[in-house]
Amino acid sequence: MTEDYSTALQTIINEFKNVSPEITGTFIFKKDGEIVASTETNTDEQIRKLVSALNEIADRAANMGSIETLTIQGAKSQLTITSMNNRYLVNVSSHAADEKVVKTLTNVIVPTVARLVDQISELSHNTPPPQPKISEVKSIEEVAVPKEEITQSEPIPDMSESFGSEPMLPEPPVNQFMIEKIGGLLVPSDIVRLDSEVIAKWHDIYGDKEIKLVHIETLEGKAILCGFKPFKEPSQNGKGIIQFPERVMEALQTSKGKLVVVKPEITR
Amino acid sequence: MLKQKANANEAEMALTNQVTITAVDSENSRFSELSTGLAEIRKLKGVLGYILRSDSSAIIDFPESDKIIENATLSYQIHESCLAIEKQFNLGGLESVLVEGENVKVLCISVGENKISVFMEKNVTHSRIIKRILM
Repeated sequence: MTEDYSTALQTIINEFKNVSPEITGTFIFKKDGEIVASTETNTDEQIRKLVSALNEIADRAANMGSIETLTIQGAKSQLTITSMNNRYLVNVSSHAADEKVVKTLTNVIVPTVARLVDQISELSHNTPPPQPKISEVKSIEEVAVPKEEITQSEPIPDMSESFGSEPMLPEPPVNQFMIEKIGGLLVPSDIVRLDSEVIAKWHDIYGDKEIKLVHIETLEGKAILCGFKPFKEPSQNGKGIIQFPERVMEALQTSKGKLVVVKPEITR
Repeated sequence: MLKQKANANEAEMALTNQVTITAVDSENSRFSELSTGLAEIRKLKGVLGYILRSDSSAIIDFPESDKIIENATLSYQIHESCLAIEKQFNLGGLESVLVEGENVKVLCISVGENKISVFMEKNVTHSRIIKRILM
């Protein structure tokens, strides 16, 4: 666990209160109990007891598979525990909190950031730090250049041609959505429905490049390419959802309520 | 397999049918009402089974007998652990708990001294189950 990782998650959970003032406390801990990030409202004692209670449930939950979420509804407030890879996110909010906002924060935003920071962390671990080449290490005397040579320096060659004439396309933006099921006689079995604002953003980024397919990947690593259309009802926009027909759900071996990562498939 | 609270005669009869019977509590009319409601909920598509227990009685209904003990232990642990969490975080009294696993989800509710756990497939709308229990 890097410090950057912890800082990124800490920054996000600190913002929860600004997004939804009804959120009274948030923290993230690893499955071994180590606290990754926490708002000031939670005491160590509270966190320790919660970790212990959750472990006791998890120890007896073999029949259910691993625990994905646990929601406690109290008379005044609710507490939600969401599993994210090797960590748990805990969120306490009053009943006045907008459920959709809380779900978007806890089920979409934080898991997405955690996933991104994981990927960045993995990349930085896999890339070795730049090593100076031994042949380039020369003594100061060897490197010193006579004054006359400085004025006769060669022009810098134009390297732009070596990259080819094709303009570089930006990396496809990655979005994470929660699955909703669509059905009916007129629903094509291989088309998913997406937020039209997200589609519009893709078109802004790629201009006149045609985007016919989206790449969809589950958190378990199953992926497919399939066609897409915007939601039929604009009211579905901004909810952080994607609508799957049964066939796509089967192909990805996933189900309603699960998260998937979606990016446009750009033909380069 | 069905374990059902009943009057003494029913209990005896059930024992001969190799059904485990709990103590009888004829005072607890709410328990009887809940058991009737849960028997109806049990018939809903995707509902895998349920546990209803009070201080003196219990009904456990699951199709797979080998999972009864594990599910009963899990149900007890969810109630106890969530009660501890509820006190720590001052949630104002425990109303319901939903635990979603990879394969199934469990809804736990306390109605007075009666503790209910309904095991169901993940696609079942649990809010409908809550409404039916509290009806």
